[in-house]
Amino acid sequence: MKRFLTFLCGTVLLAASGCGQASKPANQIEVWHWMTDRHEAFATLARQYEEQTGIKIKLELFAPSDTYTQKITAAAQANVLPDLYGILDKKSIVGAFIKAGLVADLTADFEANNAAWEKAMYPKALDVMRFSAGNIDEVKPGIYGAPLDVTNIQMVYNKELLKKAGITRVPATFDDFLAAIDALKRVGVAPFVSGFGEMWIVDCFASNYAFNIMGQDKVMATFRGEVKYTDPDWVKVLTIFKTLADRGAFIDGIVTKGNKYAEQDFALGRAAFAFNGSWCVNVYRDMNPDLDYGVASLPAMDQSRPVRSWGGAGSSLVVNGNSSNKDKAIAFLKWLTAKEQQAYFAETTNNLPANRDAGTAISPVLAEFSRLVEHTTHPSIWPLNEDPLVIEAFDKGIQAIIIGDKTPVEIAEQVQSVKERQMKKAAK
Amino acid sequence: MRLNRYILQDICKNTVLHIFLLTVTISCLFPIFWMVRSSLMTNQTIFVDHSFFPGQLNWQNYAEAWVKGRFGIYFFNSIIYTVSVVTGIVVVSSMAAFAFSRLYFPGRDLIFYIFVAAMMIPLPGSFVPLFVMMNKLHLVNTRIGYILCMINVGLSLSILLLKTFFDKMPSDLEDAARIDGCNRWQIWWHVALPLARPALAVIVIYNSLNVWNEFILANLLLNDKTLMPLQTGLMAFNGAFQVDYPVLMAGLTMTAIPIVVVYLMMQKHIVKGLSSGAVVG
Repeated sequence: MKRFLTFLCGTVLLAASGCGQASKPANQIEVWHWMTDRHEAFATLARQYEEQTGIKIKLELFAPSDTYTQKITAAAQANVLPDLYGILDKKSIVGAFIKAGLVADLTADFEANNAAWEKAMYPKALDVMRFSAGNIDEVKPGIYGAPLDVTNIQMVYNKELLKKAGITRVPATFDDFLAAIDALKRVGVAPFVSGFGEMWIVDCFASNYAFNIMGQDKVMATFRGEVKYTDPDWVKVLTIFKTLADRGAFIDGIVTKGNKYAEQDFALGRAAFAFNGSWCVNVYRDMNPDLDYGVASLPAMDQSRPVRSWGGAGSSLVVNGNSSNKDKAIAFLKWLTAKEQQAYFAETTNNLPANRDAGTAISPVLAEFSRLVEHTTHPSIWPLNEDPLVIEAFDKGIQAIIIGDKTPVEIAEQVQSVKERQMKKAAK
Repeated sequence: MRLNRYILQDICKNTVLHIFLLTVTISCLFPIFWMVRSSLMTNQTIFVDHSFFPGQLNWQNYAEAWVKGRFGIYFFNSIIYTVSVVTGIVVVSSMAAFAFSRLYFPGRDLIFYIFVAAMMIPLPGSFVPLFVMMNKLHLVNTRIGYILCMINVGLSLSILLLKTFFDKMPSDLEDAARIDGCNRWQIWWHVALPLARPALAVIVIYNSLNVWNEFILANLLLNDKTLMPLQTGLMAFNGAFQVDYPVLMAGLTMTAIPIVVVYLMMQKHIVKGLSSGAVVG
């Protein structure tokens, strides 16, 4: 008993001792991030920076991302945010952080030296942290963060399975795609897999075709309530899913499949096409290093307009507006997004660099993703977004079409009725 | 031996019972077996090799999990947190439960119900106010801050359990102790606590599990890697897009061992604690 009590007292004393809050050194930049897979590369760069400048980078990893978001929210309210951090939330939340003075305006730094920093970045990546004049969040126009990498979501195809089905050319039009589906089915290969159990992927796939079929202006007009979801163009978007389902394009159980399981299916050669983001390069390499695959845009319905896939900044960091080390943090961020560091980042982590000049260090498959970055778009850079309940009705409707529960026209009417209800609510 | 109706009935009953128990046992043990099996595979084989025993055993995953997940320091921290928090909960909750059960003071029931009501508040709901309060007390990023919060998390249920136990303790025992010259502290220490051993065992195992597996509050309150508990190490293998399943499984296996040992050590008391609530003293 005595031994146990001694052990207990020792433990409690140890817990209580030497753990007071340390004051923050002036020559240190604190960074909070969530990127588990990039932590090692980040740490190496942080050591290099310390050797070069004498400024210590204190790197703290908090994962998974939802826990990180909770931490950032709590730290923001207690005003103890670090010098550099990321906001993994909607653009309106980023706007709220900016208006609270928790994010520094980096516009002057991006525009300095004939806008050298700005020009080095992919514009699409910068757009995620850029607030333009007249933005709905009422944030002072400017650039408020720097992207570390870029992502985009495209169609990937298994070269061996296509060859097996006798497909010599990657389908560029929707008709070609349907022909490829028939050819794959003839040789007993499931044509297409994606994580359609996750709403955001369904939404992304549908929005690519909405932009292709009717263009951005008409999509935005629909969001404003000026065009109805029962419009023939929207019905055409919904009909794509019915056509693909009727043709047997989808792997079994696609509407309940999470993206991680869809990735397994493609990596293990269970489907010939997949719809996935550029991060898949790492995932497929881990699961099947011998997988031979390529990247292409979704086959267009309307050849006169490009298919605009979702993409842009993958991970961005912002500088704490209240930080006493603001200038040092900006200097570090600038260094981190410079060509050499971005090339190292891309090479070691297999992510697309945000710096345009750093693209030489990436793998051939990533280079294919990189080639398509300029054709991307993202809800966070649109002038306005659809009501979340309308999006939910639209995405769930697509799932109902795929399983044959509803027709495109029925779903279009349902979505329109939700839209009208939400508009009435908003008008009150 | 001749088979009669009663013996046949007995055999049937036993067979059904044993099949049921075997099914439950397999359903409990199979996930653990699968975790250990997966921990010995590679990222390439884990999705294609569906055999029960992998052809090639990849023990390297354990070493990688230990080094990459920084398990050395995290194990140390988790042991400190678990011992401190469980000790704190046992001491405070047993005193509080004894007071709620055996002492009379104004507002006793109201305070007790407030404690019980605290169980209804989900932890994430209190994150922001908790963080702001701990920051004002300069307890963010300190071991003691995390320990105090975790003690608070475990108090409500422990007090409720022990109060129910103490309520059933015969008052004659307390009177006898008082005649022997015990004061209230001595009654709590010499009479109430030894009798509540089964309930305390339940509290110890329940809270040990809770603290050992906790990481959300740790992630919120702690910044330094040197202060983080074991579960944080597991997150190193669980990226936003990639999961290193075999190493994660190896980490999970190592993480599960101490808590299984605690459970095995306490299991006799736990069964008693769950079944002997009606007979105290």
